[in-house]
Amino acid sequence: MCGIHDLTEKDLQPLTYSPAYLNKIKGMRFFDPHVHMTARTTDDYQAMADAGVVAIIEPAFWLGQPRTGVDTFRDYFSSLLGWERFRASQFGIKHYCTIGLNSKEANNEKLAEAVMEILPQFIYKEGVVGVGEIGFDDQTPLEEKYYRAQLELAKEAGLPVQIHTPHRDKKKGTQRSMDIALEHGLEPHMIIVDHNNEETVKEVLDRGFWAAFTIYPFTKMGNERMVAVVKQYGSERIMVNSAADWGISDPLAVPKTAALMHESGIDSNDIHLVTYTNAVKAFAQSGQINEADFDVAANIDQSEKFNGSSILRGGQQPRIDKNTTIIR
Amino acid sequence: MSVAEYVYDQDKVSTLLSTVIRNNGNEKANNWLQQRLQLQQQTGAIPQFNQTFTAIPRFTGKEMIRISTTESEQLQALLPSFFVQGWTLDRLARVWWLLQLPVTNKSVYLEVVENLFNAAEMNELAALYSALPLLPWPEEWTARTSEGIRSNIGVVQEAIMLRNPYPAKYLSEPAWNQLVMKAIFTDKPLHLIIGLDERANAALATILVDFAHERWAAGRTLDPMQWRVLVNFVGEANFADITRVWHSVNSTEKEAAALVCAQCHYPPAKALLATDPALQAEIQAGSITWDTLAQKIIK
Repeated sequence: MCGIHDLTEKDLQPLTYSPAYLNKIKGMRFFDPHVHMTARTTDDYQAMADAGVVAIIEPAFWLGQPRTGVDTFRDYFSSLLGWERFRASQFGIKHYCTIGLNSKEANNEKLAEAVMEILPQFIYKEGVVGVGEIGFDDQTPLEEKYYRAQLELAKEAGLPVQIHTPHRDKKKGTQRSMDIALEHGLEPHMIIVDHNNEETVKEVLDRGFWAAFTIYPFTKMGNERMVAVVKQYGSERIMVNSAADWGISDPLAVPKTAALMHESGIDSNDIHLVTYTNAVKAFAQSGQINEADFDVAANIDQSEKFNGSSILRGGQQPRIDKNTTIIR
Repeated sequence: MSVAEYVYDQDKVSTLLSTVIRNNGNEKANNWLQQRLQLQQQTGAIPQFNQTFTAIPRFTGKEMIRISTTESEQLQALLPSFFVQGWTLDRLARVWWLLQLPVTNKSVYLEVVENLFNAAEMNELAALYSALPLLPWPEEWTARTSEGIRSNIGVVQEAIMLRNPYPAKYLSEPAWNQLVMKAIFTDKPLHLIIGLDERANAALATILVDFAHERWAAGRTLDPMQWRVLVNFVGEANFADITRVWHSVNSTEKEAAALVCAQCHYPPAKALLATDPALQAEIQAGSITWDTLAQKIIK
């Protein structure tokens, strides 16, 4: 329709400038099962869509700044289910989330109690594909207490669990996370152990859990190392994510890793498994993922209402040419 | 028997919606809704009520509903301008479910529904705002409606602004004007705003003319449908603007100006229209209307 944006077909086409790696993964579809989009810009959404990312999971996390009240948690959870979900849909990306109390803020006991009280209001919502990201940071008794409480919540709701493993004392922290989950009667196939590295992967896979790897510069995995991991361990139950957030990180980590795997001679089927299928399969155990939705990307509510693609386009965002000094 | 808290025949509407839901849902969905209803009637438990509201799409699915002409006419007779066409089954079921909440205690009722709003995800919000024309104590939801108009989420804005008779009936003039301006800013099809003509007012007409000046200064275009709001407010102050639109090279804009001239009561506007007898004749014959214009704009 006419109006403020006056979109033409041209405005909705991908930018003519495209990095060389995009050619290698042309036509592939990606699912990034861990990315904190609330911290990212619309440029990132556009770049992700152009690179083939069709769906993402945004785990509830801390915000860099500690929260002091339960209401800010409530609003954060609501924004993951509302505004962020809509924002993603404007770029043709299907947005899911996992909801939970992160390990860092579990150390504020009074606040943690209040957050635990509101969690049941959120975990049953549409598009909530798991309880996460939860687990250990410093491995304190309070972290353990709320990790356990949330495992019970996930069990009751029949939801997968997305486990954040600690930076410090990682190997032991990862083992403990798995031991405790089993102790609470959760099945390994319902648990996605995140932020693995060369030291943790073998045990995670041997015990039947999903092993997620975060491609994040300096502090987590690099994608050359990731290529080596897939060459050694194969593609079963392994998945790659970006965990891009407000730090120096890369929301294109999944497509870039796929490109590098392709370059390194890894079989296309294996690339597809670790950058798409495995994550879909793991989180679809929530009953909340329908791959057909990736194509209509959340615009389903308005798609047929007014009989015409022009209205659907009304929800999309126009492209902006970043290579010109002119801004209109 | 209808309940006094509702300003329409709530029993009949609830029954009719229930029929439409049953005709669209599969056996599993219908049985589940029936079970939840029985449980609700037995226990009256609020957490159970909330959980059902949230869980509805898991059981009903999200297919677009089909509604027969008869049912549609019955609904129009019970609740003029209330549309369910184009809704998905989960939205319809959620709206129906809201009608099952007892209205015996007003403050409890308001608290429960406000809590649903506060913890709602995107599609729940759309369902809640779609239900506004059906809620009891209609005057209690105006602040919530204004809050919803501030939303950035497209489906939420649409649920309030388009084909929803509640805002025109209950919003104050400033809140109504905010709704119309927000609809323009977010590219909504303005002809689907119920009450667009009836709630037009001098303040809104002035805001729209100022807005047009801003857009023109920036070298940007306008939705021609916005001029419709000026019909009863054309005068010396804005006739130059109507004339400018009339001289547009864009035919939809010229037609919009012509329709304003034809429907207003300002003699110079009538004279302007008379300078293009062909266009004038088409308007008189009814082959150019705001509806035909709307179809052109959508395409």
